[in-house]
Amino acid sequence: MGHSTGRVIEVRLGSGGHTETCIFCPEGAVPSAGQYTLASDPSDSNAILGTPIFLVENFETGFWAVPLFPTTWGPGTDLDLVGPLGHGFDLPRSIQRLGLAAVGDTVSRLMPLVHQAVNTHIGMTLFTNLSLPKLPTVVEVYPLGSLKSSLDWPDFMALDVPLDGLAGLRDVLGLPYGTGLSCPAQLLITSPFPCSGMAQCGACAVPTRRGWKLACEDGPVFDLRDLKW
Amino acid sequence: MAKHDLAFDPPIMNAAGTLGFAPNLHSVVEWSELGAFVTNPISLTARTPAHGRRFVAYPGGFLLHTGFPNPGLSSILRHYARHWHASPIPVIVHLLAHSAGELAGMVRRLENVEGVSGLEVGVTSDVNAEMVAAYAQAAGGELPVIIQLPMERCVELAARAIEAGAAVVSLAPPRGLLPSLEGELIQGRLYGPAILPMALRVVRELKQLGIPTIGAGGVYTQEQLDAMLAAGAIAVQLDAVLWHKAGYGLFN
Repeated sequence: MGHSTGRVIEVRLGSGGHTETCIFCPEGAVPSAGQYTLASDPSDSNAILGTPIFLVENFETGFWAVPLFPTTWGPGTDLDLVGPLGHGFDLPRSIQRLGLAAVGDTVSRLMPLVHQAVNTHIGMTLFTNLSLPKLPTVVEVYPLGSLKSSLDWPDFMALDVPLDGLAGLRDVLGLPYGTGLSCPAQLLITSPFPCSGMAQCGACAVPTRRGWKLACEDGPVFDLRDLKW
Repeated sequence: MAKHDLAFDPPIMNAAGTLGFAPNLHSVVEWSELGAFVTNPISLTARTPAHGRRFVAYPGGFLLHTGFPNPGLSSILRHYARHWHASPIPVIVHLLAHSAGELAGMVRRLENVEGVSGLEVGVTSDVNAEMVAAYAQAAGGELPVIIQLPMERCVELAARAIEAGAAVVSLAPPRGLLPSLEGELIQGRLYGPAILPMALRVVRELKQLGIPTIGAGGVYTQEQLDAMLAAGAIAVQLDAVLWHKAGYGLFN
């Protein structure tokens, strides 16, 4: 776990009404898709906890990030950065048809996978009810409700789901208890990470087949087959 | 550290539940900034995380309801005792017990563990003075004992803890209720700067009663730490500030 500093150089409105933040920082502070870096503004005396920020898009001297919570950061804000933390997505090389589903509050955290898939010429379909960011034309987009009838298309799925939404995931996928997806899937579970793994406080605990795991430390990306859902 | 001798240099430590079960020497924490390490709460048998929403933010702080998950004392000893022995700072083990008898058994198992310098005993928020005294007596033995009392009731209960053999009392986070985004009321421990005025008042009242106290609650700056010591605390436990500032010099 490293710590470094960065600077906000631009902000924009992203998917789901979330502000996305362009951060100039060392390469080592940039999380991979699904990982997070903990960011805080040391000059903000009202800040109580750091904010997990997720990768949206890489650029040469930093990255576009989407914070898990609203922030007051603007261009010129200096940030303390800790991380990258946790485990991110790991797409197998053999994928031909990638299904993406944004069940949470933004599509932005799945965007690094979109860029990765475009670069490797993988077919892609995004399921979401959220407002969309600017997407490459190769991405087909459908409402979340059509996911149930499209589960035979992807050979790999990546989903963004809030921890609170895990219990309702079977309804979203239309899968009765005891059944699973026919293809492998990875799930980015978002939750407040108050201790970011420093305390194993349990606030982000996720039920898995091997007992409780912490999204901040063991995730936030999990293999769907490992979860109890 | 001799029996009943609790001296901390510097007079700062983490609060139970804020830095895990043993000092992680690979973390961003500067251990030299702390005078002791307090473990996460440890129960005799395993506890699983609380169900439902566990974190709610509010202006000035946040509510946390975790259920103090831990794998139980035996598993903790297997996995962490060697880390306590290797700790660069004194280790205080925080214990949760259902009864004084259960606590006494847990304490006996810890007395010969290398690297344990003291015990902190947590009690439930509905505890009464007799139970506090029973816990303090049960924990008494070879190691100095800190009784962690509910902040809201510390002034009422502290004298019994000291009379029964505790070396010091410490302040547990106050408990509160907050609505979640879905409107459901969540109960849990409160953290953040909003707690500080209440904590300072309790520390000062305990000082006036002659109760040795480790202050805790809402300390986020050097000035607030100094205020806690000036109010009469012999040392201060830090909580969420460690999650926010560790690695950057706590109060720079």
